[in-house]
Amino acid sequence: MLNDESGNPMDNLSRRRFMSVTMAVAGLAATGALVGCSRTESISTDPNLLTLWYWKRSISEKLLDSARRSITGTPRRLRTDLIGGDFDVKLRTSLAGRAYVPDITGLNSNVALYFPSEDQFVDMNELGAQEHKADYLPWKWQFGVTPTGRMCFWPMDTGPTAQFYRTDLFAAASLPRDPDEVAATTNTWPAWLDAGKKLKRNSGVSLLANASIVYSQIVNASAERYFSPAGRALFQDPGGTIRRAWDVAVAAAQAGITAKVLTPAEQNSAWVSGKVASNIEAVWWGPILKSTAPNSSGKWAVAHQPGAPGNSGGSFLAIPKSCKDPKAAFDFITWLTSPEAQIQTYEDVQLFPSAPKAFESPRLSSPDKFFGGQDVLGVFQESAKEVPITFISPYDSQVSEGVLKELTNVETQGKDPDRAWADAMNQGIRQLEKRGLMK
Amino acid sequence: MTTTQARRDARALKQSRVARIVTHLAILVGVVLSIFPFYWLVVMATNTTAEIFGYPPKLIFGTHLFENIGHVLAAIDLFGALGNTLFVALSCTVLVMFFDSLAAFAFAKFEFPFRRTLFAVLLATFMIPAQLSLVPNFVVMSQLGWIGSFQALIIPGAANAFGIFLLRQLAAGAIPDELVEAARIDGAGFFRTYFQVAVPMLRGGLAFLGIFTFIGAWNDYIWPLIVLVDPKRQTLQVALAQLSSIYGTDYGMVMAGALISVVPLIGVFLIGSRHFIANIAAGAVKG
Amino acid sequence: MTTSPLTTRRPVSALKRYWPQYLAISPFYILFLVFGLFPIVFSLYISLHDWDGIGTMKWVGLAQFQYLLVDPRFWNAVSNTFIIWFMSTIPMLFFALVIAVLLHQNIRSKGFYRVAYFMPNVTSMVAMALVFGSVFSDTFGIVNSALKSLSLDTVPWLTSDWGIKTTIAVMVIWRFTGYNAIIYLAGLQAISSDVYDAAKMDGAGTARIFAQVTIPMLRPVILFTVITSTIGGLSLFTEPQVLLGNTGGPNESGMTIVLYQYNQAFTQFDFGYGSAIGWALFVIAALFAAINWWLVSERTGTKKWGRTK
Repeated sequence: MLNDESGNPMDNLSRRRFMSVTMAVAGLAATGALVGCSRTESISTDPNLLTLWYWKRSISEKLLDSARRSITGTPRRLRTDLIGGDFDVKLRTSLAGRAYVPDITGLNSNVALYFPSEDQFVDMNELGAQEHKADYLPWKWQFGVTPTGRMCFWPMDTGPTAQFYRTDLFAAASLPRDPDEVAATTNTWPAWLDAGKKLKRNSGVSLLANASIVYSQIVNASAERYFSPAGRALFQDPGGTIRRAWDVAVAAAQAGITAKVLTPAEQNSAWVSGKVASNIEAVWWGPILKSTAPNSSGKWAVAHQPGAPGNSGGSFLAIPKSCKDPKAAFDFITWLTSPEAQIQTYEDVQLFPSAPKAFESPRLSSPDKFFGGQDVLGVFQESAKEVPITFISPYDSQVSEGVLKELTNVETQGKDPDRAWADAMNQGIRQLEKRGLMK
Repeated sequence: MTTTQARRDARALKQSRVARIVTHLAILVGVVLSIFPFYWLVVMATNTTAEIFGYPPKLIFGTHLFENIGHVLAAIDLFGALGNTLFVALSCTVLVMFFDSLAAFAFAKFEFPFRRTLFAVLLATFMIPAQLSLVPNFVVMSQLGWIGSFQALIIPGAANAFGIFLLRQLAAGAIPDELVEAARIDGAGFFRTYFQVAVPMLRGGLAFLGIFTFIGAWNDYIWPLIVLVDPKRQTLQVALAQLSSIYGTDYGMVMAGALISVVPLIGVFLIGSRHFIANIAAGAVKG
Repeated sequence: MTTSPLTTRRPVSALKRYWPQYLAISPFYILFLVFGLFPIVFSLYISLHDWDGIGTMKWVGLAQFQYLLVDPRFWNAVSNTFIIWFMSTIPMLFFALVIAVLLHQNIRSKGFYRVAYFMPNVTSMVAMALVFGSVFSDTFGIVNSALKSLSLDTVPWLTSDWGIKTTIAVMVIWRFTGYNAIIYLAGLQAISSDVYDAAKMDGAGTARIFAQVTIPMLRPVILFTVITSTIGGLSLFTEPQVLLGNTGGPNESGMTIVLYQYNQAFTQFDFGYGSAIGWALFVIAALFAAINWWLVSERTGTKKWGRTK
């Protein structure tokens, strides 16, 4: 029975009913329309446009301009999205949310992070990758190959490492100042430690900003890291890379040859003021040094680092599987990373090539006033050729996080190194167990 | 007797004047502290980065406001983000005002079965912190295809317990039973009664809820940060955070962007402050 | 009102009769089911797995929770959250009370003061976090410049452990003092003057009146502000994230629980662990709410003049 009693029941009933039903339908329609507006996965629907995600200064704008007009050899054009903030977070959010995924994406050196989701990316072997393989440095190429052998991450630029050092500060402490002599004097890590002690003793200057630098760069220069390609844990091996790097870093910390500065701001200040006399980093650090400490121009030089050189940083290109036209995307990628284009890239944004043919170009070597007239690129070219092929696992950071934290504890809190090592290993193992990677 | 009394009165009068001056000063100090960051924001937005970084710092307004704003617009689409945020905030506000008042009216004025239980359930949902649902809601959104869209920001909060609770309190008191009964006798159904009786009577509460929701939606940060991916479709808070993270060293520009984000909301607040402040206080005291 | 002899109240007809009301309240319950209840259950499910949001879920049982219990980064986040809450809530409520008492005197332009005090609360948090980041900057912030000009040592506001916590606490205090002051003011205004008159007639001085009349009568309002401040304190995210980044700054001194959850779930893409952290937050919030309630309600003061029946 209904509320309403007065008036004509049928009229009132139908009027009230009508309004209510209309409203209900309108509400449902609105919600339905909104729900219906679901996204397609790709970020743009224009069939002739391929979208590229990249971050500031990771690709030459001149080359991008040309591709925006037309991608050579294809009917497509490029649309670029400059991604700020945390690039990996944005990309992984799109992949996880299956929305707004670009057709081509840049990736930084941590591509191993994406190995577990490699099925989200196109295997470029199917597009003819093998034909170009010989053009690139083998260790850089290998970084982009997933554990299952799929070529998902195309080489863009690289970061071969060496030591940057202050010639004047070295000379003041009776250390050699010529790059070849420096390399000879510090050709092993123990010899390098001795040089650091001498520097500290003679002039109170530190060799490195902190011990984590030498740890990371030794790992970067080694053929084996935390895991084998098959997933076997190597980081606990007593003679393995991780233990070796840890020992050298601890020795450096305990010998007092590091300045114990941890934050980027403090490090910059230390390099500017001459509190720290050297840094082991990749070629891309040169321009950063120039803009951080312009007043020290002419006082720096570059020498080979102790042991073997490694690679720090460097980026890649990948094609997500939702790409509209993988063939055109691949054409763009190979065009952008051809040896000629890499020379252009170096000139525009000082990114170091991954194609050895580019090294032969005279445009890639010249005396640099900042480094006292030295042709530093020559040093890095030699470094680039000697970097070992190595495997980076997506789970490296589960272990390295704890190791770096404990290393800092040893360096700044004086924690007992053996206990610190045990704690670091425990943290790493616990994290891996949590993820079901270790029993 | 009278002289000591007079002296006591005079002393009391002087004390009360001193007390008043001290009171005013203390209040003013508080006001200055409240307003200072806004003042400083304008100072920074109108100066160049070099002036901001200098020592001694420049304490007064500069002349570079438009230059800084120009840089902001060249860097990111801040006005686009402003428009997006306006759209999202308005949609949230309209939906919340409508759904909440509708439900509140039903709860307040009608005795339908299970009313008490249902309302108790509604109150219980207050207990649940929003952070529990961040991760799973992200997954739900990706299943719905709503990642990167504004629906993800608008729909989940379109009807909230807070508003229903508040408006129900108001409706119970402000809407006389006789009016509802009269409407019923006139042949009006529930929805017509709602439009003709409830809405006019709830105007004050609706204004408050509207402003409250608008400000909350405008300032929402963590959820849009998680859900919005397209750099071309962002809300203001996320765009501003982006601006700071990419161009963090150009302080003049970042502060100009911050100023642009702050001004509209202050405008809305100043217009609606009467409703807003009175009702927040009332709600707290009664609640 | 006349009852028609034809009205028979059968339960079915009651439901049918009230369908507009059910329709009216349904949006809330539908939305709650989809975006409230289901996610909570799903969150528990995710927390029993290892998942990066893109690939397949892998069952790990209680491993996430076992890890959580001994995760030093998590407990650091918990400790930071509580310390910052403590550092901000107590001064904030104290100042709010003082301001409310001051405003409660008969002074002019009360409306202007209320707006001025309330403004910090309605403004963009991201923008103000950026402003405070600049005001408290170690190298060029105006606070350090002022200290320098007074020949005092500068303070590492954004790089030292206590400096970071202080800066965040100051931001919270700035944002909410006015809001709480307005609430206390309304509470004060709601106390009828009869109560005060009765107390004065009994010969009580100002201080005694304040302690034994005003505060007890304000207790429900104080409880309200403590609870809202607790909820706000436990969800602290925007200020540390904008000020210090996704890891809460040097040594994670500014890492709060929600920031850690965001860090693990949405920057490390460890959805399982992120969900576990969410549940830990829920348990902590429930515990804290219970403690708050007990602390503020159980205190008994003499309520001689409090009863005005």
